[in-house]
Amino acid sequence: MMKMGLRAQPGRSYRSFFNFRLLCSVSLDFLFVFAMVATAGWAAEAKEDLTALSIEDLMEVRIESVSKFDQRLADAPAFVTIVTSDDIKKHGYRNLPDILQSVRGSFVRYDRNYHYLGLRGFSRAGDYNSRFLLLVDGHRMNDNVFDQSAIGNDFILDVDLIDRVEIIRGPSSSLYGTNAFLGTINIRTKKGKDLKGLEVSGEGGTFTTYKGRLSYGNRFESGLEILLSGSRYESQGDQRLYYKEFDSPSTNNGIVKDADDENYGSLFGSLSFGNLSLEGGYIRRQKEIPTAAFETVFNNDDTKTTDARAFGDLKYRHQLPYGVGVQGRVYYDHYYYRGDYIYADSADPSLLVKNIDKAQTQSMGGEVQFGKALFGRHNFILGAEYQYVFKQDQLNYDTSVYVDDRRRSKNWGLYLQDEFEIFKSLRVNAGVRYDHYSSFGGTVNPRVGITYTPFERTILKLLYGQAFRAPNVYELYYQDPGISQKANPNLDPETIRTVEIGMFQYLGFNVWGTMNLYYQRIRDLIAQQEDPKDGLLVFQNIEGVVQKGLELELEGKWTGGFRSRVSYALQRTEDKKTGTGVANSPAHLLKLNGIVPIVSEKLFLGLEGRYSSRRKTLGGAHSGDAFVTNVTLFSQNVIKGIEVSGSVYNLFNNKYSDPGGGEHVQDSIRQDGRSFRFKLTYRF
Amino acid sequence: MLARSSQGTAWRERARLMLVWLLVTVLLEAAGATEIELPEYRVKAAFLYNFAKFVDWPSKAFSNPRAAFGFCVLGEDPFGSDLEDVVKGKTVNERESALKRIRGLQGLDGCHIVFVSPSEQERYAQILRSLRNAPVLTVGETAEFTKMGGIISFYLDGDRIRLEINIDAGERAGLKISSRLLKLARVVRASWRN
Repeated sequence: MMKMGLRAQPGRSYRSFFNFRLLCSVSLDFLFVFAMVATAGWAAEAKEDLTALSIEDLMEVRIESVSKFDQRLADAPAFVTIVTSDDIKKHGYRNLPDILQSVRGSFVRYDRNYHYLGLRGFSRAGDYNSRFLLLVDGHRMNDNVFDQSAIGNDFILDVDLIDRVEIIRGPSSSLYGTNAFLGTINIRTKKGKDLKGLEVSGEGGTFTTYKGRLSYGNRFESGLEILLSGSRYESQGDQRLYYKEFDSPSTNNGIVKDADDENYGSLFGSLSFGNLSLEGGYIRRQKEIPTAAFETVFNNDDTKTTDARAFGDLKYRHQLPYGVGVQGRVYYDHYYYRGDYIYADSADPSLLVKNIDKAQTQSMGGEVQFGKALFGRHNFILGAEYQYVFKQDQLNYDTSVYVDDRRRSKNWGLYLQDEFEIFKSLRVNAGVRYDHYSSFGGTVNPRVGITYTPFERTILKLLYGQAFRAPNVYELYYQDPGISQKANPNLDPETIRTVEIGMFQYLGFNVWGTMNLYYQRIRDLIAQQEDPKDGLLVFQNIEGVVQKGLELELEGKWTGGFRSRVSYALQRTEDKKTGTGVANSPAHLLKLNGIVPIVSEKLFLGLEGRYSSRRKTLGGAHSGDAFVTNVTLFSQNVIKGIEVSGSVYNLFNNKYSDPGGGEHVQDSIRQDGRSFRFKLTYRF
Repeated sequence: MLARSSQGTAWRERARLMLVWLLVTVLLEAAGATEIELPEYRVKAAFLYNFAKFVDWPSKAFSNPRAAFGFCVLGEDPFGSDLEDVVKGKTVNERESALKRIRGLQGLDGCHIVFVSPSEQERYAQILRSLRNAPVLTVGETAEFTKMGGIISFYLDGDRIRLEINIDAGERAGLKISSRLLKLARVVRASWRN
């Protein structure tokens, strides 16, 4: 993925003005759709007079499985959004970025290689999603060399295996340690009993894209529960891309052909019996890079990245005497990365050189956690975690070897958390964690949250938290002697402090409103700078940024499966030293989701609208605002065991771009226009 | 967005309008749809009302001929406004119906159907013991409940509500349960000695 440093490009031509009228008209549209769904949902809800039914008919009435309000969300010491497997099916979400982008205050950047998530207005080019923690059933997925959260098609799970996604905003280092910086994304997988047998699924869509999946899941009488699944994906991508920065005869007039291919194969399995559970997954993904990133040769489909990840996690739960619950876990992780970069030979430009960039890590770790209720009103958790990374290799070579760094490291952490109910309406959640790294030493990170429920349907929250991000071995040790980049083993971890306040209020008609305000300060930000003494790039701790924002959301769930959510986020992230706004940070984000049952329980319409105001690019210009509409028609049980869906993404074929990274000549990178997908799943 | 032609904008506006129109039509259709999924406790509230119709109480259960028929919820109320909506303004065998929410065993006077909330799970034995011979239809939500002497228990079979009825407990309470109701339920005879 990364290498050869960052370059700021002089301003390119994507000039655009902030379109306030567009923001207003989109807001009104979204509110209007929300109101329509709410009206229909409320009407459906109000009209049912069940007492008119005979008792025999009552026995046939189906009840909803979706609870109207998740009490756990209200109690959590953070602002959490949940996306369920039902949302995923009915909105036609193809991958994790589709899911994450639907959530308030989030935005994604895609550079035709990896997807990068932004939370609370911050997503810095080159951070590879290391400022949030990605968990699968509590297992850390950030790798041990780049700390990257793979959220694109390199994410280890097929989205069909997801039971729910929890997006937990704010710092959580007090529980999880490093990377739980801007937020934590925890993905809960489906269990054997959710599948009840064999399931096969196929999908096809625009850009010659195909995916197939075969899964088996079951829960047996003995209590043994098993799930096994394998998926294969192939896409030719956009076979004709145009980049005007390369529009000259020597670079094929800016046209790239057949260089956007992507494929992956993944496996996942989980097993549980009694107090023991075992889980593991594997993915190998390959993507061609069509953007000539890192100064590679333009229009060459041999430039590509390959990422492979594997993990295993064994958990055991037990009740000890005196009401102490204990949970133990051992885990294994493996990560392999290989980048093939095609360059023109400096001596003879007609010859091509393939530069190979590799990284490989293997690690094992364990965690033990004790929980006990004390004195009637306290709920304590005490935990310890240890990880030994016994392989952390980085390599870069072509005709010579430029980087050959092999090392090992250890880290461990101790944490304590208490949930204290002062009164029935006042609850405090406080936690702290100490982490020790062989690279930089120790760090302490606390978090406190107060939840106050003054009235039955009003919940107030006040939170303060601190988190850190440890420097990774790429930032610390990657160096090609004298060529472009040097090491800095003295890096300190980044730290963030957050204060936020928010309110949940029931507004009537089954609609809940959320409002939250936050202020965050990041210090010792690790950024790649050019050392004036030798012109080499080096990672250093620089001043940092300040993030401020306001988020508003309305969410409603009604009888029959009507659901809708509309949100607005206003955010401002500034460089602390200069006071200017940072790149890749949209000031306004609007999201709309609506699910409408057309034929009850059999046919559903899923609507999604996303608006993002313009973002500053690295070159100092702006990639314009983006407005995307997605529509999905989902059908189930018309024929027993069959689920079918048809989706249109970017329905109005809006042209929009994401800011490019330091490795791109392009200041902004155009995203896909209108595309389609058809999906069929059969359960035996 | 990059420079758009005015034609492009007009097309987008029209497309948006069409989508909204489509949405309105679809929503109106949908609002008329039947056989939709309903909230669990709204359906259970309707069941409670039906129990009143299919069970006979002895006359000693009522202090006078005009006494109201009492629906009571013991413990944390999971019904929200659903039970109230069902019971309000309705009559049971020409008696007015009343709804009471009670916390302890003291408020049980005037209760003819008592729904014992799952929040009282730890106290089932105590509650059922004190109601043992009283002409009260006890309704609960776990398998334990009927085993311990509760009369009717709800359980879920997939996404449908089912009933389990303890006939012995019903007889001890002096209630006569209609065969129409018994036919629809899983019948249990034995009960734990408590």
